[in-house]
Amino acid sequence: MIDSLCDQAPGKDIAVVGLYCDFLAQQEQSTISMLGAILKQLIIRGGIPEHIREAFQKAKKEFGGRGLRLPDMVEVLKKTITSLDRVFVCIDALDESAPKHRRELLESLKEIVRVSPNMRILLTGRPHIDCEIAECFSKAVKIPVSPTQDDIKSYLEMKLKSDTAPKAMDAKLWADIMRVIPEKISEV
Amino acid sequence: MQWLSPLEPQKRHESVRTDRLDSVGNWVLKTNELREWRDMEDGCVEPVLFCCGNPGVGKTFLRWEDLLTGERQCKCH
Repeated sequence: MIDSLCDQAPGKDIAVVGLYCDFLAQQEQSTISMLGAILKQLIIRGGIPEHIREAFQKAKKEFGGRGLRLPDMVEVLKKTITSLDRVFVCIDALDESAPKHRRELLESLKEIVRVSPNMRILLTGRPHIDCEIAECFSKAVKIPVSPTQDDIKSYLEMKLKSDTAPKAMDAKLWADIMRVIPEKISEV
Repeated sequence: MQWLSPLEPQKRHESVRTDRLDSVGNWVLKTNELREWRDMEDGCVEPVLFCCGNPGVGKTFLRWEDLLTGERQCKCH
């Protein structure tokens, strides 16, 4: 997701950055570390800008704290994002982040988007976090995702071809699997 | 860089990329909702898109990095 496909739009500075949330990593996926991961991917592309160097120097002098605080992180992100032509931020499995961090993350993104119209945010997650997203982004566009029959068939074929016990397979079993499983799944 | 965040989403992305089947789910990238979100001029479009679905439907494995490839037609400027 980090791929910045600038060559697709000559002359434009476009960045695609991403995050994966994970139930098992809720502890380390704090709001600040998630925003930091976005920032990190943005600046890896083109060297460390002066405003980030300054923030680092300032934070280093502060008692007990070497990391940026949330309001500072939000400010640094605003500056970094507005300096690019367009930024796509993709956050996968938002529902797997801790509720407290999720709220803060959405609030922070809302604040950044307010001054950065060149930013687009793609969120994925289970449907139940819909209302939390709507609290910050009331007009967010929703796309329900479910696999098509063709998707399921391609996936099954790939799995069957890489089966570790190919001798157990015959044409009839193969055909049965390819017929029954897609039918059953689309009924769910 | 570690100072900014200890998280390394690139690693997870590499494993997702290795495990996925490329043809699956491409219809999402072709929906009007996604195209508008991607291509419309800044300020004329809602910046947030939410792809929702139950666990296991394949949200993670869509080819998100292809967002900008293909028939991208920028309507900005």
